[in-house]
Amino acid sequence: MGGYSFQAENVQICVIMVGLPARGKSLIAQKIVRYLTWLSIRAKCFNVGNYRRLETAHPTAEFFDVNNSEGERLRKMAAESAIRDMFRWFDHEQGVVGILDATNTTKSRRNWILELCRKRNVEPMFIESWCDDEDLIMQNIMDVKTTSPDYIGQDPERAALDFRNRIRNYEKVYETISERDLTYVKLINVGSQVIINRIQSYLESRIVYYLMNLHIKPRCIWLSRHGESAFNLTGKIGGDSDLSARGREYARQLPQLVKMSVGDRPLTVWTSTLKRTQQTAKYLPYRQLTWKALDELDAGQCDGLTYEEIESRYPDDFAARDENKYEYRYPGGESYRDVVVRLEPIIMELERQENIMIVTHQAVLRCIYAYFMNVSQDQSPWMEVPLHTLIKLEPKAYGTEVIRIKADIPAVSTYREKGQSAKIKK
Amino acid sequence: MISLSLDSSPSPSPSPTVSISSEDHDRPPSPMANAPSSFASSLSPPGLSTFHADLATSPITGGFASQMHLSPPSFTSPMRTQSVGSKYLRRQSSSVDEDAVHDALSPTHVSPAQLYSTESGRLFHAGKICIVLVGLPARGKTHLAVSLTRYLRWLGVKTHAFHLGDYRRVHIAPGTDVPDDYFLVNASPSTVILRQRVMAACKADVYRFFEEDRGQVAIYDAVNPTSAGRRVLVKEFSQRGIQTLFIESICDKPEIIEANVRSVKISSPDYIGWDEKEAIKHYLRRISDKIPHYETLDEPEFSYIKLYNAGERILLNNSRMGYLPNRIVFYLMNLHIKAGCVYFARAGKSTEQMPRYKSDPRLSDEGRTYARILTDTLLEHRRSEHTARGTHGDNSPERELIVWTSTRRRTIETSTEFEKRGFSCRQRPQLSQMHPGSCDGLSGKELEKQFPEEVELHKKDPYRHRFPRAESYHDLAVRLEPVILEMERIPNDILIIAHVSVLRVLYGYLMACSPFDIPALDFERNEIVEIIPSAYNNKVKRIKIYGVEESQTL
Repeated sequence: MGGYSFQAENVQICVIMVGLPARGKSLIAQKIVRYLTWLSIRAKCFNVGNYRRLETAHPTAEFFDVNNSEGERLRKMAAESAIRDMFRWFDHEQGVVGILDATNTTKSRRNWILELCRKRNVEPMFIESWCDDEDLIMQNIMDVKTTSPDYIGQDPERAALDFRNRIRNYEKVYETISERDLTYVKLINVGSQVIINRIQSYLESRIVYYLMNLHIKPRCIWLSRHGESAFNLTGKIGGDSDLSARGREYARQLPQLVKMSVGDRPLTVWTSTLKRTQQTAKYLPYRQLTWKALDELDAGQCDGLTYEEIESRYPDDFAARDENKYEYRYPGGESYRDVVVRLEPIIMELERQENIMIVTHQAVLRCIYAYFMNVSQDQSPWMEVPLHTLIKLEPKAYGTEVIRIKADIPAVSTYREKGQSAKIKK
Repeated sequence: MISLSLDSSPSPSPSPTVSISSEDHDRPPSPMANAPSSFASSLSPPGLSTFHADLATSPITGGFASQMHLSPPSFTSPMRTQSVGSKYLRRQSSSVDEDAVHDALSPTHVSPAQLYSTESGRLFHAGKICIVLVGLPARGKTHLAVSLTRYLRWLGVKTHAFHLGDYRRVHIAPGTDVPDDYFLVNASPSTVILRQRVMAACKADVYRFFEEDRGQVAIYDAVNPTSAGRRVLVKEFSQRGIQTLFIESICDKPEIIEANVRSVKISSPDYIGWDEKEAIKHYLRRISDKIPHYETLDEPEFSYIKLYNAGERILLNNSRMGYLPNRIVFYLMNLHIKAGCVYFARAGKSTEQMPRYKSDPRLSDEGRTYARILTDTLLEHRRSEHTARGTHGDNSPERELIVWTSTRRRTIETSTEFEKRGFSCRQRPQLSQMHPGSCDGLSGKELEKQFPEEVELHKKDPYRHRFPRAESYHDLAVRLEPVILEMERIPNDILIIAHVSVLRVLYGYLMACSPFDIPALDFERNEIVEIIPSAYNNKVKRIKIYGVEESQTL
């Protein structure tokens, strides 16, 4: 296993977000959930704003004034509901990391949550996002808040203004975390400074480590498989074959395809160490790096065989793989889970970088895609990722936008449905 | 012209076999301790021959010079004392019972948990990095350097620590003190020249490490107390294409500083016969006398990590340098000045002669007897160690023992005696044995019959080879990383009851073993292996368990 299973440890962590509005708290919270889920750790986000919206759908800035007692009461109720749901999730759904996504800007509010956690034996960990960079804040406001459910149907300019006033109300009572005996991480100006205090467990350190690698600069990630290879044509898996004629055509067309999508933005291309990806990327006019971690899933003894051959030689294996494709490990080879473990540094590095294009292989691409699109483990090994297709991922505040750009070059399908050996379609 | 970068820290020579380590920077290198170990051959290059002449003619240092040309003291294996710059880079046949963290790595070295390798030999495309430590003496810098080296090497990053104190000791005659103005800004010309020599020798090795040995991370262990001095370093490194990351160790809790001084002072002959508290006060006063000006890291444009009180609080500034600094902080979050020992023991014999993975057998009667004897032996050993420490004036309380087992039944059952006596026992699925795949339950002979080719391949690369559907030691290492990090973070003594394959990997990490040695490490049932961490070396002790006959491995 990737060593990330914590079931026997019985650790339960409540992550408590802290920060003024438009500081990227929800973004961070959702990314943490996505990352932990990818690693097979049960994580869930409880956004207090969503609970508040059930009662008060379109509040103005005054709602958030501390002196507005009705507003205060409703907001506290929302927080209570969220926390109640979270503890229920811990108790009944084997939750491991629950994230309470709210501003939690006052000491008293934080203490209240702290007490609740301690009573339930849940480890509290605070994450504060602190930002005084006006441009960043404004950008965040424009991007996110004006498309928020609170402001549906309103003029964006007015929405932004109202939102600014809302923030001002919060600013009046904001107390940054300074209690030295708390477990917390303070991210200052999106990671230009990070303060880490009293980390209690390995899992917490893992979360902090992930956070340190994040940034919010807008960027895109392009994913592509290598062009059609000689092995693809004969239906063989694995190996280190060259591109076929059509694959070479894809390589020639790729620069134009990429240029149309990337425009003038700087880009770095990552390939695996196998020939077919390098040949595919060879005409791209960008800086290139090779990563062994991007090599295809090692099929071990089945490397170089077709699915039909595998089915006839190792029928039990073939069936077992269909049973649980994520966990199944090829004799002498790897499983999808193994690939996820070895891809983790790539994911970390991807989080740190800006525009990246990755030319890789079917299984690896599925795992990377699963991370960005939050695809579950029983679905990701079965995703269709056809050859000669450029996939553009644009991570946005609350999700990732996907665009598939097909090159107009036919290729075989290497997709195999459950229970079947791949049939080669020409 | 005063060069301010010539500051050094009182760190001992990282000679792996020296069991006495000295922290006191005023103590002259005693004949026992610091034979110029890893850096001996930095004296042999022609450029320093004039220096030799200086030493040889000086009446005080005559003995020192001759000492340097002597073959090293008998307890030091001669092959191991080669500098990074020497041609002898291959790790020689030193015993696996010696901590290899200070050995130089060969250019083709592959690490136990290395996920992959690149052509440049430099992982993660992170380029060359020099980690510059900052901090007053007794702040745990050398321990930090050694631990970081151990961890980074484990990951496959070519790392080496360079302790400026070693270079200083080589250049200063035995029996003489460091000049009083050694750390002062406006030192005398002769002191300045001495400082420059020391620094030059150290930096030469650092550059050699990067340029000739394809090193990736050099850890420069020195006090580095002034901002100006640090700027000079950054500039010089940057001109050579080396990025600089500072790590400052700050202690504002006197008890931590005192504990550091105490643990290292015990070994210094200077303080024999002193009252412990007096000795600590004396030492601390010497530090403040010698290094009156200390500027904490504050340069906003530098990439730095400030470590407070051994990891209680960490501040990270401006690190957009790549995967490595963040990984280092990740490690630091889990590292503590580890005081606890680790004990390794096997589970008792099970009801199956060749225990099969799938059946997960329980302990046999013999196994249960073993569990009792194991418990008694270990607890008795701990008691006598505690008493022995007491007679040497160390009245620190016995550290609490916790027990970790895997989720396999025979390991859990082996721990029940401990549980009955009130010790906390925890099961960890990551400690499960290496998955045997298709070889489950097969004897050596049967293995040869069924998988002759696999057996051949396995002999060629026992560390990385996987039998059909099985795990390799490498997989185990990657799987065990959380356990390793948690071992680093827990202050207790830990007893790990697990399968041989797992014990091998954990031992391999603690003793910086190479992938060649790990699959062959021995763990007999009639022994408890104890690993005692110290700041500079981990040490091994084997505790005999009487009343248990030797078992077969596997």
